[in-house]
Amino acid sequence: MAYLSMGEAHRRITDYLSRFCDAVSSQDAATLSALLAISSNFASLQAPADALNVFQDSNQLVNQVERYAQFAEILSPLLRCLQSYRLGRYSDAYVAFEKAANAFLQEFRNWETAWAMEAVYILALEIRLLAEKADRELSSSGKNTEKLQGAGSFLMKIFGALAGKGPKRVGALYVACQLFKVYFKLGTVHLCRSVIRSIETARLFDLDEFPVKDKVTYMYYTGRLEVYNENFTVADQKLTYALMHCSPNKEANKRMILKYLIPVKLSIGILPKQWLLEKYNLMEYNEVVKALKTGDLRLLRQALREHEDRFLRSGVYLVLEKLELQVYQRLMKKIYVLQKQKDPSKAHQLKIETAVKALNWLGMDMDMDEAECIMAILIFKNLTKGYISHKNKVVVLSKQDPFPKLNGKPVSS
Amino acid sequence: MSDSGGMTSKGAEPIAVVDSRSTEIQAVDVAQTHGSLYSSSQPAVQSWSSSTGEQSVPNSSYYYDPQSQVSMSGDAQGMSFTSHASTSSNQVGVNSTQPYSGYAPYSSSTVPYNYNSVGFQNYYYSNHPLGNDSTTQQVEGDQNPGAAYQPLSAFPNSGSYVAPTSYLGTYYNAGDNQTGTGYENNSYNYQTGLWNDANYHNYPQHLYSSYTTSATTVAQSSTTASTNSLYYQQQYNKWPYCYNQAMPAVNGIAGTDNSHAAPSLQSAGYSAVGVGAGYPYSSNQPPPPGTTSWREDSKPPGVSSFQEAATPYNVNKTWEVVPPAMQTPPVNQQSYFNNLLKPTPLPNENQDNQPKVIYSQAPHIQHSSSNHVPEIFQTPQQTAPTTEVRQFSKVQIPTNPRIAPNVGVSLLKTQKESSGTNAPTRPAYVSVSMPKPSDKSSAEDHGKTKGTFPPSLCAYVDRSFARCKDDSQRSANENILKQVIAKATADGTLFTKEWDIEPLFTLPVEQSDQQSGSPWPITKRSPSRRRSRWEPVADENLNDKLTSVDDNATKNTSLGQVEAAEKVAVKNSGSKSVNGSVGYKFLPSQQQSILPKFSQRAMKKPRFSHTLSATENVDHSSDSDKEQNLTKYYASAIALADSPEEKKRRENRVKRFEKGHGNQTDLKISRSKIAAGSGAYTSRTSGLLKPTSYENGQSKAVEDIDWDSLTVKGTCQEIEKRYLRLTSAPEPSTVRPEEILEKALHMVQTSQKSYLYRCDQLKSIRQDLTVQRIQNTLTVKVYETHARLALEAGDLPEYNQCQSQLKRLYAEGIKGCYMEFSAYNLLSIILHSNNKRELLSSMARLSADAKSDKAVKHALSVHSAVSSGNYILFFRLYKEAPNLNTFFMNIYMEKMRFEAMKCMCKSYRPVVPVSYITRALGFSKLTQGEEIEDASIDGYEECEEWLRAHGAVITSSNAELQLDTKASASTLYMPEVEDAVAHGDANLAVDNFLTRTL
Repeated sequence: MAYLSMGEAHRRITDYLSRFCDAVSSQDAATLSALLAISSNFASLQAPADALNVFQDSNQLVNQVERYAQFAEILSPLLRCLQSYRLGRYSDAYVAFEKAANAFLQEFRNWETAWAMEAVYILALEIRLLAEKADRELSSSGKNTEKLQGAGSFLMKIFGALAGKGPKRVGALYVACQLFKVYFKLGTVHLCRSVIRSIETARLFDLDEFPVKDKVTYMYYTGRLEVYNENFTVADQKLTYALMHCSPNKEANKRMILKYLIPVKLSIGILPKQWLLEKYNLMEYNEVVKALKTGDLRLLRQALREHEDRFLRSGVYLVLEKLELQVYQRLMKKIYVLQKQKDPSKAHQLKIETAVKALNWLGMDMDMDEAECIMAILIFKNLTKGYISHKNKVVVLSKQDPFPKLNGKPVSS
Repeated sequence: MSDSGGMTSKGAEPIAVVDSRSTEIQAVDVAQTHGSLYSSSQPAVQSWSSSTGEQSVPNSSYYYDPQSQVSMSGDAQGMSFTSHASTSSNQVGVNSTQPYSGYAPYSSSTVPYNYNSVGFQNYYYSNHPLGNDSTTQQVEGDQNPGAAYQPLSAFPNSGSYVAPTSYLGTYYNAGDNQTGTGYENNSYNYQTGLWNDANYHNYPQHLYSSYTTSATTVAQSSTTASTNSLYYQQQYNKWPYCYNQAMPAVNGIAGTDNSHAAPSLQSAGYSAVGVGAGYPYSSNQPPPPGTTSWREDSKPPGVSSFQEAATPYNVNKTWEVVPPAMQTPPVNQQSYFNNLLKPTPLPNENQDNQPKVIYSQAPHIQHSSSNHVPEIFQTPQQTAPTTEVRQFSKVQIPTNPRIAPNVGVSLLKTQKESSGTNAPTRPAYVSVSMPKPSDKSSAEDHGKTKGTFPPSLCAYVDRSFARCKDDSQRSANENILKQVIAKATADGTLFTKEWDIEPLFTLPVEQSDQQSGSPWPITKRSPSRRRSRWEPVADENLNDKLTSVDDNATKNTSLGQVEAAEKVAVKNSGSKSVNGSVGYKFLPSQQQSILPKFSQRAMKKPRFSHTLSATENVDHSSDSDKEQNLTKYYASAIALADSPEEKKRRENRVKRFEKGHGNQTDLKISRSKIAAGSGAYTSRTSGLLKPTSYENGQSKAVEDIDWDSLTVKGTCQEIEKRYLRLTSAPEPSTVRPEEILEKALHMVQTSQKSYLYRCDQLKSIRQDLTVQRIQNTLTVKVYETHARLALEAGDLPEYNQCQSQLKRLYAEGIKGCYMEFSAYNLLSIILHSNNKRELLSSMARLSADAKSDKAVKHALSVHSAVSSGNYILFFRLYKEAPNLNTFFMNIYMEKMRFEAMKCMCKSYRPVVPVSYITRALGFSKLTQGEEIEDASIDGYEECEEWLRAHGAVITSSNAELQLDTKASASTLYMPEVEDAVAHGDANLAVDNFLTRTL
């Protein structure tokens, strides 16, 4: 770092402090949030951060001037955070930032209007980003990574300050989304439930009054939760909403939404176009889609095996696994179609033996009993219309639409 | 001892510089007041004289100076003889030793004087409060002033008294010291220990060498401190208890509000005060152990229990021993007390800096003591010595209860009754009621007591005393009466009981002989004491009682006055003490004011008169007589010093002390782990001791507990052991070492007995492993064995316990059947908890190795079978399940079958042969390869039964049973599980539980 004279350092710090105080007094949220954006806007904060390394006694500076001293609770830790961040000590920076954020939240509670909402957003964002950085730092040194957890509880605090009636509730959704991010990252997804409940059932919120971007994020996360619950209809709605309202420029966000939306759509019988997968680089689904189209069970299993890790991590593995029945259906349909081409009069009698042959040809080791069982399940799940004659080892297919399409409805369980 | 004398001399020099003011004053005062006394006593007490002599001033006045000096210097040992205890307490650690040494010699020499000393003690007490306060305040800042002051209290009592002060001081200073060393040593040490660790070492030596006195001192110092003559005798017995008490007291301080503990200590010292002070606090908070002890005393207030009260006791003793002496001493006492009373306000001032607790407590104590004094004083004059003894006790009784209530009330009401009460009596602090009883005969006293106690009870007390032939009996009587009344109080029958028809208790056989002529039965006392300590004692009852009494009596103003005075003082002090070094500055002032009073100088009130109305009142008392009285007192005491009785008593004390000594060492060893070599057990106990002591002392964090030292090394050689959930620390003798546990595991594995027996055995093995903190392959084996057994028995809760432990153990890298159990884990999630996220994460965690494992593969296959509803696959997998995977599948089997049947009913038309179902749904025991035509026999009936049980419609054609799918589709149902229990755990079913046999 370039040499900095004491005077210059003092000037920079004072500048920072006065800008903060000015922003608060003039209710300039944009400036304020810029000053709070430690990690996401560090470039503009580098000057005071450098100065802090030169000018050690910044606390005194804060306390000396009454204008600054009234925000000493915020400013002192904030300066410490800046300094620590500049030095790459993210864990310290996080601790200091949480302190500052806490004090800021206290102030924010006392402000009648929601003018500082933007700054609170920044707080919520920064606390998470800093916590993630701090945890990375901690884990690299073999220490307990608990900062993100702490950030989660702090975010919950912010959420509590926002949720409720009044002008500040518009910010609740943003904080809720930050919370979701933390919880998903921590794997404590179950904690989302309370947040969702307070948003959706408290009736304090009309989703329409929230900013669209927050709604998209919110829908994305709640949709993901529904995927976990294999509640495909709702998941489809939420994720579709997210995709529809997602900013067209945010390709990455769209991809993330599609990553979950595609399996959901698949499981309700809607297949994506090839170009979509290509455009958003979701080719791992390509083979799955292909298997569904062709009824190639082997391909499906192969695809699942191939991308098992990825699917397991994203949590769609089980969803994709369930596509197996649709692949069977496709396979049977193919047999039926072939039979129909061959002999339309007997097309409705699908011998189980034939099915076994087809399956064996696909490399599936199945006997009559199992094939019969699968046919029974297909009928049971409304994927096939007809009945099995055990005596004759024949599936008697309905003459009308023997293999109904799902058409957006999930497979009945 | 001689060394100590030398030490003192050394100390003197530095002292002089520091304390010049205070010492001077003291010197003068002392010389005047005590001088005569001391001089007379000196010859009798060699140690004393020697110490003083060395200091170069045989006279009392000089004597005092040295003390102060010593205290100043901080040489603990040197001081010892001169009763520097008090000073020592003021000063940090070093001094602490002094009190003992000083005290010890003094007592030994003075033993004969006991009662004299008692008188002084009282005196001291009164004085001490001042000293204490100052000391506490000064603790670090001004040692000198405190020291200077204390010299006055140089007497044995002072030592004890000082202890309390030191205690307070410690409290303020830091909790750490208390727990650390204090416990090991006697209570006294404990207190002193706070100051310096070094003290301990010095102290013990002194104690032992000093002999009897030391014991007493210890006892006294340890909260009880009352320093009564009674105490000496009792303390032999109690001593350990006292020690104990001290500890609790300390604990209380550390743990909860200091106010509590501190008062208890002081109260103990002042007995009477204790009652008063203790109560108010106790009501709010849990009473510290220390307080209870004195409370009991207070309970029987109606009776004689109050002997323990410092002043009253002294009086009693004096009477008994030397009737003639009594008369004079009382006067002295009064004067002293008055003086003492004055000092009390001072402490308050100083205390501004310190917590409020001190304020209220310290003043209380002092006041109470003062109250007693007047009583004593008056009584002796009036009646014959023998009767007086009784009277004293009785008189005290009434006063005490009142005091107690007063305190309580006063605390609550605070200044309600301020100066108004003071007016009636000349000596401000003397309770109004007191003078009357003293004037009257014993009978009258009782009558007076009636105010607080039912007349019948008084009569009862009279009766009981009437049959006493001598002092020892009387004391015994007192004790028993005390107990009786305490009991009645606790029962709430005090006022309802018909005391008139209550048969008198039988007096114990005279123990006076055993007690080396001491009038009070030692043995009797100690038990009662002990009881008091641990008895619940229903504080609330007492409180209620007291308050009620108070209301009835209405006369108990004295304490209220005191309170008011305190308050005033506090206020004044608050206003006055602007300086940061309040303690420091005030001390000198205190001394000045106090000392003058002592010496009856005009200086008396200058400071405090305006602050305290009470003080003024006190001043009125006969200060002029003080000196004379004191001298006489001492003279008589000296005369007694060499009496055979006293010698016996001394011997007794020595013995007692030795006992205590043993105790001490034990404790020390255990605590300090010196005895580490003595084996696992001792180390364990020490480990246990530590945490408890921490708890008591200052609540150390759990993580500070030395778990290593708590870990048990088992010695049990029994292979078989029933499981019993531990409710206390494990006993090594019942814990099996690892090699035995291995045998036990083998025994369980090969045992043919029921699961319950084996489960029980395994749990006990697990417990033994846990308490010994054994975590190795054996541990894994045990948990694996148990998990398997639990699975086989369908005991899922137990399995889950084992599984979670195994997860942890595997994670620590301990080898075991990892694959098998990760398969179980998967199956458990798939078939039992059905948590998708958990399954995902478990699957994601599987390594490539694991995925190729047979068991894990099987589990994954089961997963796909279940998720797709492939019943054929499921039951095939069921048949070829490795390890105990079958047992998991058992859990799900019923559900799978039902689902399958539903599926069949929907998809099959028109019928499905039962034989096929038998095969498909796993009723057949045959594996796939063995399919035969004849298979229908195998499991056929079972399948039919099952189908019927689930509402299937079965038809028969050609002698073959068939499932009518269409008809069945609407009639299928899941039957209630017969042995289902509301809480879902069949293992907890009552019938099952009751029929459990191992």
